[in-house]
Amino acid sequence: MNQPRTGAPDSDILVDIRDVNLSLGGRQILKGITFSIQRGKVTAIMGGSGSGKTTLLNLFGGRLKPNTGQVIVDGQSVPDLKTKELYELRKRMALLFQTGALFTDLSVFENVAFPIREHTRLSESILRKVVLMKLETVGLRGARRLMPSELSGGMARRVALARAIVMEPMMIMYDEPFTGLDPISKGVIAKLIRELNQSLGITSIVVSHDVPETCSISDYAYLIGDGRIIGQGTPAEVQQSNSDYVRQFMDGLPEGPVPYQYPAGDYVEDLMSSAA
Amino acid sequence: MNTLRVLGAIVVNSVERLGRASLFLYEVLLSSWELLRRFYLVVQQVYAVGVLTLLIILVSGLFVGMVLGLQGYNTLVKFGSANSLGLLVALSLVRELGPVVTALLFAGRAGSALTAEIGLMKATEQIAGMEMMAVNPITRVIAPRFLGGVIAMPLLAALFSAIGVLGGHLVGVGLLGVDAGAFWSQMQAGVDFRDDIMNGVVKSVVFGVVCTWIAVFEGYDAVPTSEGVASATNRTVVYSSLAVLGLDFILTALTLGEV
Repeated sequence: MNQPRTGAPDSDILVDIRDVNLSLGGRQILKGITFSIQRGKVTAIMGGSGSGKTTLLNLFGGRLKPNTGQVIVDGQSVPDLKTKELYELRKRMALLFQTGALFTDLSVFENVAFPIREHTRLSESILRKVVLMKLETVGLRGARRLMPSELSGGMARRVALARAIVMEPMMIMYDEPFTGLDPISKGVIAKLIRELNQSLGITSIVVSHDVPETCSISDYAYLIGDGRIIGQGTPAEVQQSNSDYVRQFMDGLPEGPVPYQYPAGDYVEDLMSSAA
Repeated sequence: MNTLRVLGAIVVNSVERLGRASLFLYEVLLSSWELLRRFYLVVQQVYAVGVLTLLIILVSGLFVGMVLGLQGYNTLVKFGSANSLGLLVALSLVRELGPVVTALLFAGRAGSALTAEIGLMKATEQIAGMEMMAVNPITRVIAPRFLGGVIAMPLLAALFSAIGVLGGHLVGVGLLGVDAGAFWSQMQAGVDFRDDIMNGVVKSVVFGVVCTWIAVFEGYDAVPTSEGVASATNRTVVYSSLAVLGLDFILTALTLGEV
């Protein structure tokens, strides 16, 4: 009898990445990366800026294709899907962009209603109830008539979160959900990610470089550096790691395996030269 | 040698871009069928692209008609044919100035706005967000704007010509004393529906397709930064204006059968 394939609908693994290499603009972003994400858990993917975290989310959502390797989500090989199949898969996943990516010409209510209007034919009264319930979940039912330009950064991200869960997806990917937020908003977003994961039973993938907030809500964490997995485990295990790279990232040290200086020639020679 | 290489690169890039723009248009046209059941999206864009451009079109049309009235009268009166002023104003507007000036104004006002809007949607990840929500941005964002522009252009050109004729009447009949009956009757007798009006309509439809195509493509293809959106907007106005003037010559030559 065949064993259930990793990433298959009946497996505990929702996302399975095998030996993925990816180059963009002549630069190799991912170098033979292999890891998996468990169903129903909050998994953190941490790493410095430019380490390839967001690229991974784009691979899961089929917005990028790997040069080599496999990307399997819910049993389907994402790079091999036809456009229609990819769109069917995307209906079951949500990506919360760093900026929120709200439609600036639509009100808060209409932003949240957008996926329902596009994909279903619910009556206006049911649609209204669904939208208000999701807005209530993120605490913004009272802000439904505001336009995105009238929202603070934290509020915009909460509206985007309400829009992300309105179709009740199997997984939500959060791209830098804490960046640029004040401590209160960070706490609110962290609480929402954790609560939604439990109440809706969805799989959450949090891509971030905010160590304390991310560690406080995740069940498992991967640390990415130089296009590879350089550390993994429960947040407590990652924080105890002795690896130089992990220590530099977790402790926020300016010097370490990741150099402070961008590669350059000899300093004195450079100053003496007249070239720009 | 280096110049040759640069020249070659420019040609290759231009051809590649034209190819991409053509595939993009094909995709937009395919998506347009789906809008038949959601026509309200197109109506919204006819309002945004057409109705909001109305003021500049009407004011420009009035002044162009008034200038035509003045210039036309000054020339015609030398030959004792000032009564043909209505015919001159109407033919100039319906055949040439209506479609061309409307298209140039449309490129400057609505085309640039379309490019900037779509470019900024891309820069703020709204387009990517839509794709991740399993909504095709070509169907939801681009095709309604394209159809809105194509529908709005001939209507705007017709209004431009109509208000221009009134401007010519205002100056010719109201100020310079041309006989009102002669003004209208010469126009009625001299303007042919098929040869003049329909040719003008064909021109404005072609200009509508080209200007809106350039505007939506430049927006969708823009580099998603503030500088990228600014240069895309700039390209929309320049390419649309040049395309309109070039196509006008070709269409005029074809309809007159002189070339």
